[in-house]
Amino acid sequence: MKVVGITTQQEVYIGSKDRNFRINEFLIITDSYQGDLMGEVVEAEAYNKYIPLSMHGELADSSVIESLKAIGYNVEEDTIYIAKVRLLNEALYPVEAGSDVRIPEFDEVKDLMIRSSVDEGLVLGVIKSTDQMAKGMDEEYKDLLYTFEDGQLKSQNEIPYIYNIKSMHQYPHVGVFGGSGSGKSFGLRVVLEELMNLNIPTIVLDPHFEMDFSEIEDYMPKDKAVIYDDKFKCLQVGFHVGVKFQDLSTQDIKNLLDASSPLTDAMNNVVDILFKRNDSYNSFHNRLKMLVEAQEEGSLDRISRRIEESNSNLEREGWQKRKELYLNYDKICPYSSVRGILWRLNRLNNEGIFSKDIKEIEEGLHMGKLIVIQGSTRILQVFSTYLVNNLYHKRREYKDALYKKVTADYFPPFIVVTDEAHNFAPKGYDCPSKSILKEISQEGRKYGVFLILATQRPTLLDETITAQLNTKFIFRTVRGSDIQTIKEETDITEEEARRLPYLKTGDVFVSESAMGRTIFARIRAANTTSPHTENPFDELKNKTEEDDNKFLEIIKDKLPINGDDFINVIKEIESETGLTYPLDLFEEKLNDLVDKGMIEKQKTPFFNVYR
Amino acid sequence: MYSIDDGLKENIKHINKILMNKYKDVLSLDREFSKKYIQENVGPIVKLNKFTMDELFNFTKSGGILGIDGSKNRMGGAYPHFIEIYQGLAKSTLYKDKAIYKTDFYTPLYLENEGVNLLENTVEKEEQIRSKKLSSIEVEAALEGIREFNPYAVMMDGSLIRYDIECFDKWMELRRECEERGIILVGVIKDIKTSIIGDLFMNDTSLQIEECFYDRELLYGLLEYGEIIRIQSEVTKKSEEGFASLFMRSSNAPSVIGMDILDSQKDHLEEMARLVFTLTPKDSRGVPLWLDIVDSEVKIPDKMIRGLLESYLDRSILEMFFISERDKRTM
Ligand SMILES: Nc1ncnc2c1ncn2[C@@H]1O[C@H](COP(=O)(O)OP(=O)(O)OP(=O)(O)O)[C@@H](O)[C@H]1O
Ligand SMILES: [Mg+2]
Repeated sequence: MKVVGITTQQEVYIGSKDRNFRINEFLIITDSYQGDLMGEVVEAEAYNKYIPLSMHGELADSSVIESLKAIGYNVEEDTIYIAKVRLLNEALYPVEAGSDVRIPEFDEVKDLMIRSSVDEGLVLGVIKSTDQMAKGMDEEYKDLLYTFEDGQLKSQNEIPYIYNIKSMHQYPHVGVFGGSGSGKSFGLRVVLEELMNLNIPTIVLDPHFEMDFSEIEDYMPKDKAVIYDDKFKCLQVGFHVGVKFQDLSTQDIKNLLDASSPLTDAMNNVVDILFKRNDSYNSFHNRLKMLVEAQEEGSLDRISRRIEESNSNLEREGWQKRKELYLNYDKICPYSSVRGILWRLNRLNNEGIFSKDIKEIEEGLHMGKLIVIQGSTRILQVFSTYLVNNLYHKRREYKDALYKKVTADYFPPFIVVTDEAHNFAPKGYDCPSKSILKEISQEGRKYGVFLILATQRPTLLDETITAQLNTKFIFRTVRGSDIQTIKEETDITEEEARRLPYLKTGDVFVSESAMGRTIFARIRAANTTSPHTENPFDELKNKTEEDDNKFLEIIKDKLPINGDDFINVIKEIESETGLTYPLDLFEEKLNDLVDKGMIEKQKTPFFNVYR
Repeated sequence: MYSIDDGLKENIKHINKILMNKYKDVLSLDREFSKKYIQENVGPIVKLNKFTMDELFNFTKSGGILGIDGSKNRMGGAYPHFIEIYQGLAKSTLYKDKAIYKTDFYTPLYLENEGVNLLENTVEKEEQIRSKKLSSIEVEAALEGIREFNPYAVMMDGSLIRYDIECFDKWMELRRECEERGIILVGVIKDIKTSIIGDLFMNDTSLQIEECFYDRELLYGLLEYGEIIRIQSEVTKKSEEGFASLFMRSSNAPSVIGMDILDSQKDHLEEMARLVFTLTPKDSRGVPLWLDIVDSEVKIPDKMIRGLLESYLDRSILEMFFISERDKRTM
């Protein structure tokens, strides 16, 4: 390997007759005047000046190359390999052409590649094209992980990529970008596993119900399995966790109501007027409901008539109350807006959001757990706004109190993680979850609150937030506009940007402000698996099989079943299992089992017998 | 957009008219007719097959193929302040790393060996010397090549006749040695400049063709891929005596190439044609890949020549003699 051609202080070409180069490989140039210069391969090509191109620029027919080989000349041996190498640090003078080039030893690249100890960082994967240097690596960096490539588990033979989580203090927040199927969610899973290893309090917003860590990945060797059961908790909004209505401020309630689609000015006004401090859900709801009912009567006269015509005291008091509301608010709270608020409130309530609180989440964070909040995107938008605001301010109060030297309850630093982040912080329009995420992106560093935001569409993510993401993991990206955004928002080079559409699933460029250059890595094999990575078609098949087996189980000890005796069998089943089968469904299911060869059907002169 | 002078446009249109007019007779000749005429008067048209791999291995066993080519680079300005550098190469398919290079140079400023006087030197004479130098080093390379590699055949880039004319003595030495040792000597001509068929056409009064056309014009698009015309010895000109030749369409491109061989070896001409056909990429312009490779090995980039001169000539010499005013501007 030698430096060839014209060189500059930043870039050189290296040629070799027998060694192919790999992109992102590190090489050391021994310049006789300037000493050792370290560089990274940014482009690699194999070149054969004799393998001709046809007049149309295609490769010429291979039969000619074969023929030439037959008369003794192997053109392929004339292939030379050329690498464009960018120096990590600009040289003082252009590099001496003809300088020798060698592969660095581990110690020479250690500081460039390893930025954190194994115990204190996130061991996320391997740095690609480092296998040769990895040979001389200290034991502590070996055998930390597996990768999963081409359907196989592979042991680690490259230098590990360890994300220095402590650097977040200076360079906060992480973005995870990549197109569909590029490995974002998988990468996020690995990040979360590592956060659990370090017991870092974390909130995960999980609209896909995929961030469960109780299933061990099949490919993991049994003795290497890591159990995360007591390190995380999956909580569903409305079922395990919710909002405590009494704690809500007017702003909170507006945020909640506003989260799915923006409130009109009139609606905002209605909340300002009708929501009272210390309202319970019921008191607020009743106030709205009665006002609406009064407004539906249409006039004071008709409400008065209702009062007169009331049959009971209770009813009369009710209408009395409605009249009062009507008198106080009808003018300033238009009917349609009041109705709109009531409708939204009902909907939130039906989703169970007001039936629980966030105590379990807070406790989890205090214990250094990873809390996965699950729910539909819409409900998560609503709930996360409230939740993140709440937790962030607790942490902030604590830190501010410390600063002012007054006492306050301890609240730990924490990380907020979300997939589909563009739904929570969209570019171009406002939504409540965006304001809090924006605030954290700008100020969170001071309080030890950090974001990890993943999205398929960086272009749709709020640009103020994007600009605050100091570390970016960039997986395969095909869409031109997203590549453009990525180029603007990271320090990836032109050459790297050109490779983005072709990255393998799970391969990633890591652009860290802390590093000042991009690392090309492969995310390690996750220890756990998402509960529904099952192929949807396998899922269908499994589901029917499961159903069939269940049904067979139920009827097994009823066999043989006579065709004229269905009624009695169904009754028996009903009393034993509580399951009721309509007659024709029952027969259909039996025939289905016959078709599948699970039971037999015999025809008799009078009826069929199933056995 | 460039603005193009109207006068220039008119001139180009005019050229087109002249050429169309001149060639209309040829262009209007019926293809089948031409082919038949050629079959009857020039020689049979035959379709060739490519060699099989086994057949090709026989070439390897009998010594491989020696490819010969030359190159020249010129540096400097107008006469006599220039230098021309010649390089000849002999490269065997069997000995990858042992190519034989020969070099020579020419400058009107130094003619001692040429035995002429600078002042009475004529343009023709000068031209002759230069061609001779290039041909000679190619033949020298070939000579050393056959001695060193003992090939089955020598494939020269260009017509054999050229060497006969340009450097007779050296050529005879090569020719004799090849004939004695049974080494086939063959020339492959990319740009045929003959008018064998053209002359026949013109002299045939029944055809009413008044001008002499070149063979490359007449044969354009006429042959099928892999077809050759075996030129009968009666039709070749006096100057071409002692050689047998053929035309061949060796690729999809409609143009043809020529090949020639010593009369004493003419039984091998078709064998060599098949070899050339086999080694020519279908989508190329018709030159066998092997000669393309030799060609690119022998060529020296102008930049490199310049580098050499700059490194090894004194600056004053360089500037005084070999750097044209135009070059100085870019230096
Ligand atoms: N580092 C990796 N090693 C091995 N397999 C991986 C890796 N990353 C992703 N995969 C596999 O590739 C598939 C797609 O990955 P993933 O679900 O993470 O894509 P995604 O980027 O989240 O896509 P989407 O945007 O559609 O959600 C998954 O089946 C996963 O198992
Ligand atoms: Mg995903």
